Amino acid sequence: MLRVLFSRIGLGLLLLVCAYPFLWMFLSSFKTNREIYTPENFLPTSFDPFAYRLLFSGDFIDFYEVLARSILLSGGQAILACLISSALGFALAKGRFRGKSILTGFALLVILYPKQAMSLSLFEWMASVGMTGRSYGLLLSGVASGLGVIFFTQVFRKIPDELMDLSRVEGESLFGSFLNFLPLVKPALVTYCILHFLLCWQDHLLPLLVLGADQLTLPLALAKLADSSYRIPEAVGLAASVLAMIPLLFLFGFFFRQIRTALSDWVIS
Amino acid sequence: MLENQAGTSREKPLSLVLLLCPFLIFWAFFWFIPLTGSLVQSLERSPQLSEDLDSSKASKSVNYEIAIGDSKFIKSIENTSLFVGFTVVISLFLGFFLASVLFTFSKILRGVFLFILLIPSLALPGTLATLFYLFFHGKSGVLNQFLMVPLGFEPVNWMMDPTWILPCLIFQAVWRWTGLVTLLLYCGMRAIPSWQFEVALIEGASSWSKIRTIVYPGVKHLLFFAGIFLFVDGVAAFTGAYNLLGGSGGVLDAGLLFVTYAYQVAFPGGAGRYDLSLASAMCVIVATFTVLVCWFGIYFYKQQHSQTC
Repeated sequence: MLRVLFSRIGLGLLLLVCAYPFLWMFLSSFKTNREIYTPENFLPTSFDPFAYRLLFSGDFIDFYEVLARSILLSGGQAILACLISSALGFALAKGRFRGKSILTGFALLVILYPKQAMSLSLFEWMASVGMTGRSYGLLLSGVASGLGVIFFTQVFRKIPDELMDLSRVEGESLFGSFLNFLPLVKPALVTYCILHFLLCWQDHLLPLLVLGADQLTLPLALAKLADSSYRIPEAVGLAASVLAMIPLLFLFGFFFRQIRTALSDWVIS
Repeated sequence: MLENQAGTSREKPLSLVLLLCPFLIFWAFFWFIPLTGSLVQSLERSPQLSEDLDSSKASKSVNYEIAIGDSKFIKSIENTSLFVGFTVVISLFLGFFLASVLFTFSKILRGVFLFILLIPSLALPGTLATLFYLFFHGKSGVLNQFLMVPLGFEPVNWMMDPTWILPCLIFQAVWRWTGLVTLLLYCGMRAIPSWQFEVALIEGASSWSKIRTIVYPGVKHLLFFAGIFLFVDGVAAFTGAYNLLGGSGGVLDAGLLFVTYAYQVAFPGGAGRYDLSLASAMCVIVATFTVLVCWFGIYFYKQQHSQTC
């Protein structure tokens, strides 16, 4: 009984650590600097959205453009990564050809080689082929996802071989079978797409190197807003942080059940 | 019949091209070529060398020699190792604990709690850094007001005290990743067949022995997977430290992580010299070590797994 009580207290404390600061962040986006620097004050004196007005006024950054760029970059990269890695994952799971272990090794290397350690050389390479300062370069740089390949290989392995054999008997090519089987793994596609979106959304170093000073993504914009040399009210940075979380909260909230199902299926395989 | 038609035939080349080539093209263009470039560059003379040393005496491995002899690089490796070690262990422990406790609640509450635990994972690392600075940090910050002062300690200046800078970075990483680890382990625990728990109930097994003999073996592979993911992510950690310490390593470089230092070497502010060759050599050393550690980890895990099976 005591053990259950202690575990529940532990859970309660961790839930508090996960939720309370973000609630405070939302409320603080209506506060003045003076109120913010005393974090024990929970509520703002007034709910004046001055920080949101300042943020969208374009005085510090063009927030509409930053948000649109982040959504397009992360969304575009997530969709492409999903398609490309699911195609290879399907081939590795169901195809009959030589060199599968080499391809799996390539995908594993992408996972195991720290991405940030690649950023400097990737930046140099992209600069040499004229892809720096262009959003599409950044978008394409992350579509070869090792994690995606390993994830989809496991997902497609769960499709019974009998279905695959039937598809072959009907004269479908491997690519045709892949297109036919894609709807069967919709929860996995949605889940991976959202996870990749999350990772791309949070990426900081490569956009910092590859994009121009006027091409900010959300992590870069937040770093700029938090930079004390610009003397921007703290509430503006917090308002940007609140708005930066909304697309992900929406995606995870809307597809949460599907994500849990897909991950449960994946972990069994 | 089915065997003959479907069992042994190889795939049509066009199908394979359509399925394999997109990944291979992007992999080669954005991973393999830059990696090769990085290796080549790490063997080239850095601008620093051409000025400071007699170029005829410089060997191909000179950047590596400089990197290994650089006390700041060694410090960044030490910090990163501690950062990674503590982040992995604490996140996995908390994730396992939380996922286990969640099962004592109703399905609806589990979903709500899981979602709340995921919130820090959905925030940008910059947001976590800002929140840490404004909410937890400072004399009147929550850590001092609700932890240090009630326990009878003096308030700590967390980001200015070299003893506490690294623990703060670890706290931030654990805060960020615990929710995702919990979600993964929760899904793994959900997949454990219920009959195993029914048998344990009939046998009168204690909670500890259920965890030891059913839950842990059921999610061991996920703990390993999450451990590898956190390990690689920890080695590559940048944003949190960059935002919290303004791109520096903090007081006495107590929070200098490897990627931050490589970035400082490659793109120094002020009068510093751009030394991409040395930064490349540093990246090659650390990344190769990371890959080898993971590879051996996977190899030994597989061997152990095949022995137990």
